Amino acid sequence: MALRKRLAHLPTHLVLGSISLVAVTPYLWLLSTSLKFPKEVFTPTPRWIPWPVNFGNYAEVFDRAPFGVFLVNTVLVVTGILAVQLVTITLAAYVFARRTFRGQSLLFGLFLIQMMIPIHATFVPNFLTLRNLDLLNTRVAMMLPFFASGYGTFLLRQAFRQIPQDLEDAAVIDGCGGLRFLWHVLVPLARPTLVAFGLISLVSHWNDYLWPLIVTDTPDVRTLTIGLGMFVQQESGADWTLLMAATAFVTAPLMVIFLIFQRKFIESFMFSGLKG
Amino acid sequence: MSDSTAVLTGERAPALAMARRFRLGGGGAYFYLLPSLVFLALFTYYPIGFSAYLSLFRWNVLNPEKIFVGLENYLQLWREPLFWLVLRNNLFYALGTIPMTMALGLFLAVLVNQRLGAARSLYRVALFYPTMIPMVAAAMLWVWIFNPGIGLFNYYTAFLGIPRIEWLYDRHWALPAIIIMSIWKNFGYFMLIYLAALQGIPAELYEAASIEGAGAWRRFWRITFPLLTPATLFVFIVAIISSFQVFDQVFVMTQGGPADQTNVLTFYIYQHAFRFWDIGMGATLTTIFICLLLVLIMLIFRYAGRRVYYEAD
Repeated sequence: MALRKRLAHLPTHLVLGSISLVAVTPYLWLLSTSLKFPKEVFTPTPRWIPWPVNFGNYAEVFDRAPFGVFLVNTVLVVTGILAVQLVTITLAAYVFARRTFRGQSLLFGLFLIQMMIPIHATFVPNFLTLRNLDLLNTRVAMMLPFFASGYGTFLLRQAFRQIPQDLEDAAVIDGCGGLRFLWHVLVPLARPTLVAFGLISLVSHWNDYLWPLIVTDTPDVRTLTIGLGMFVQQESGADWTLLMAATAFVTAPLMVIFLIFQRKFIESFMFSGLKG
Repeated sequence: MSDSTAVLTGERAPALAMARRFRLGGGGAYFYLLPSLVFLALFTYYPIGFSAYLSLFRWNVLNPEKIFVGLENYLQLWREPLFWLVLRNNLFYALGTIPMTMALGLFLAVLVNQRLGAARSLYRVALFYPTMIPMVAAAMLWVWIFNPGIGLFNYYTAFLGIPRIEWLYDRHWALPAIIIMSIWKNFGYFMLIYLAALQGIPAELYEAASIEGAGAWRRFWRITFPLLTPATLFVFIVAIISSFQVFDQVFVMTQGGPADQTNVLTFYIYQHAFRFWDIGMGATLTTIFICLLLVLIMLIFRYAGRRVYYEAD
């Protein structure tokens, strides 16, 4: 019986297995190319196993562009964005979930609009704003437009609303209202949502390109994605093993963390739409 | 949402209700919203109004002082064939990516949702990981894969009898190449959204349907698909918004070429504002972009929103 059940899933495994293979192929090819010697690349049939293995590409990438600096900048920018976001969305989600006030639906609508107006639709005026604030070519410039998050507010509001009103009533009677209730009760109870939002925010800003491209122009503040873009232009026509090593390095931090915590990541991203 | 709070308030001890209302008074709620509103105002609402305003001016390298020109910028775009080509490219990109990504996401979610044992999380990782890669990196990788001479793509598609294509260098195939790459990058995320929604469908429904003699095909179209409409609406909106955001791929893979065949709205705005330093035109295009997005989303909510079943909120 068990065997029959397993066999019934065989076609599913075949379909999923082959599509998974197709999906994984590009990344394996990236790693393979990044470990080859330049001469090994030009073969009439793809050579999957790099032999002899050449780790030197990675070292050379670091010699030619300050990828270490890019990495530090990226970490600073994404954690900076997230830290401020957590404060702004927690405060906003709290009043949207637990209070009534004049203009509530209108204001909530305004928060939601932000989800529909991506930075891609506002980068020209935002660039002028930052120029007027004299903040161009700083790390803060890369963070500022993302400090408020309509999406995060929305997710967290849903989580806060799941928490019974009785809890707040009891807390108020005991003299633990407002910010203290928010900090000591709501925030710990909404932790799964905060973690999910945190991961989504980190991943999406780690991958930001257009905005950092526009507001930075020197390597000392650039992030990994911009660094990669510049490296590609600077080395254009250069050998593919170097370009792929740089590309692999830019994807590596997130990929490693993703593979280690894949369950948490996948749950978080699943969760992101569930509440939408 | 305000209704439920009001009902609750009415049911409780009046003193408590009074206390709560007291704490709400004096603009307390607005104080909590203030940090968010400052940033939203400065970087979301103000830019919308500001670009609408700037779109009425000629303001570029040749005219460093703003000159009011009314709707001249819009008329100029209307007569500009490239503007229409750019819109066509955006439409083509949307039609090329959205249905395929959604269908693939749904199909794979249904498959992965079965009891597949340990292999299941392997599939999930293999299908989802492209979402985690920066688009720039993915684009760079695919430039290599689409390499006409020694690229992987031409090599393996040759086995399917597909002739060698110059892909990113061919004016007919550059946009399809970007579409293929974008489908690969995005379907995994949609698969996860569908997977989450599938796990919310009660198993009893399927059991009952099986007892009634409904086959897998019928069960999918009669139970799964209708119950997934909220997820489908969500995915559709995300897909539309993100299809209009396409920029990184174009920037890295083609720079809009060859012959503007892959030039899309975001890249066109970028060109005007930061290559030609024509801020007035950049603002005009930005305004058109925002209007397009809002109209599309309103249309979706009007026509699709009605057919969606939501759990009582």
